[in-house]
Amino acid sequence: MKNTILILLVSLISLTACSKENSDTNNGLSRVIFDPGNLKFISNSLNPKKETMSALYGNEKALESLSKETQKPEAGTVMKLVTWKYHENPQYIGGTITGELLSIETVQADHLGNISYEIKNDPAKSTSPDKEGRIQYFMSYLPVIRP
Amino acid sequence: MDTVKKKRNPIAIIFLAILGIFGGLQLFSKPLEGKPVTGKIEAPREVISILENSCFSCHSNQQNLSWYDKIAPVSWAVNKDIKRAREVLNFSEWGKSPAENQGKMYAILNMMQSGKMPLHEYTLLHPSAKITPKDIEIIKKYTLSLSSVNPTAQHKNEPQPSSTTPGAAPTKFPVSPNGVQYTPDFKNWKVISMSTLFDHSIRVIYGNDIAVKAVETENFHPWPDGSIVVKSVWMQQEMPDGEIRPGKFVNAQFMVKDSRQYKDTEGWGFAKFSGNDLHPTGKTASFAKESCIACHRQLAEKTGYLFDVPMKVNTQRLIQNLQKK
Repeated sequence: MKNTILILLVSLISLTACSKENSDTNNGLSRVIFDPGNLKFISNSLNPKKETMSALYGNEKALESLSKETQKPEAGTVMKLVTWKYHENPQYIGGTITGELLSIETVQADHLGNISYEIKNDPAKSTSPDKEGRIQYFMSYLPVIRP
Repeated sequence: MDTVKKKRNPIAIIFLAILGIFGGLQLFSKPLEGKPVTGKIEAPREVISILENSCFSCHSNQQNLSWYDKIAPVSWAVNKDIKRAREVLNFSEWGKSPAENQGKMYAILNMMQSGKMPLHEYTLLHPSAKITPKDIEIIKKYTLSLSSVNPTAQHKNEPQPSSTTPGAAPTKFPVSPNGVQYTPDFKNWKVISMSTLFDHSIRVIYGNDIAVKAVETENFHPWPDGSIVVKSVWMQQEMPDGEIRPGKFVNAQFMVKDSRQYKDTEGWGFAKFSGNDLHPTGKTASFAKESCIACHRQLAEKTGYLFDVPMKVNTQRLIQNLQKK
């Protein structure tokens, strides 16, 4: 009797051990959610040519600047544009969904109004982006309508 | 003589008893309620013939049942399935709205493609109703051809209502018939994914802290109670350079996990708040049982009945590197 219990116990442990291992290894891949810190979602976009979708986050000042449709971000603005590759939704024909994270771009205007631009890519690219163009692009976003 | 009688009787009695029970059962077998055909699907002949052959027996008011489908207790199961099937999709009550019918065709295509429909139990007894890959191709071709109709997509330069109306926030938020209440809190939640659909909409999916943690720890089988996922839907608006931005607000769709309250819909309370007045969808508390859950249950089971769970395609290292200052 004791043996049977022991065998059952051991097999149970080995079974659960196996299933755990299987779910943990997936080439180290995981489901990633972007953490915008204290910034909030402002708007998003989809580029059919590049097959990318982007989300724009910003602080209060960013929301103000974009709402007023100013040419340049006002002093104190912080904005981040997070770009993902999109795919056909594996669970629904006729839908797409974001997949690989491609880049995070940051535009900031310090308290003097000096505007900086930075991009982080994967894989890291050494191309020098058109900073002015990208800042203008950021400013082309209007906050989404959410009643 | 006596011994023969004794041997025969039990068998005869059992036989008669079974016959009697079956006969008796038939008294409780109500024939399926006949309903008129109020609207017919219009599609190419080859599409209709697939639908008639594989779907109409349950999803229409024109049943073509075999004799054994009408005998209790089989008839009970069959009638129950048909009643449920008609609630979700009825080819005899096909609507006139092209957008709605396009949505139905996509649902049909996805159900066929994933092998969920026709039901396995049904094709076991009715092998002729099985669908082939070629059938699916025909349905797919037809469904995709419907996408070209695009009456609602807007273009840039159309006037847009202002996005922020501070001070005008309603004090009482709308409530769905099943008890799910709208909350604007989602605007401060993390974005878990973004998506589009064939109807020329663009969507952003937000999750509360419980839902975000469930995704990040791969712990959504089942989703923990208290998880809330909100999908904000806009019409696509095309910029001059071809980029798509969110235009007119369509609706906010809520899924609230409460395994005790929403037993009929896999523990999820569904709600949809549409238009600028956020009017809730549904007439009765059970509206989602007849609509939402049918697709979510069959097609999104792997991700705990949600369609837009982020894909498992990124590494933690990558996001840490990119998020580093």
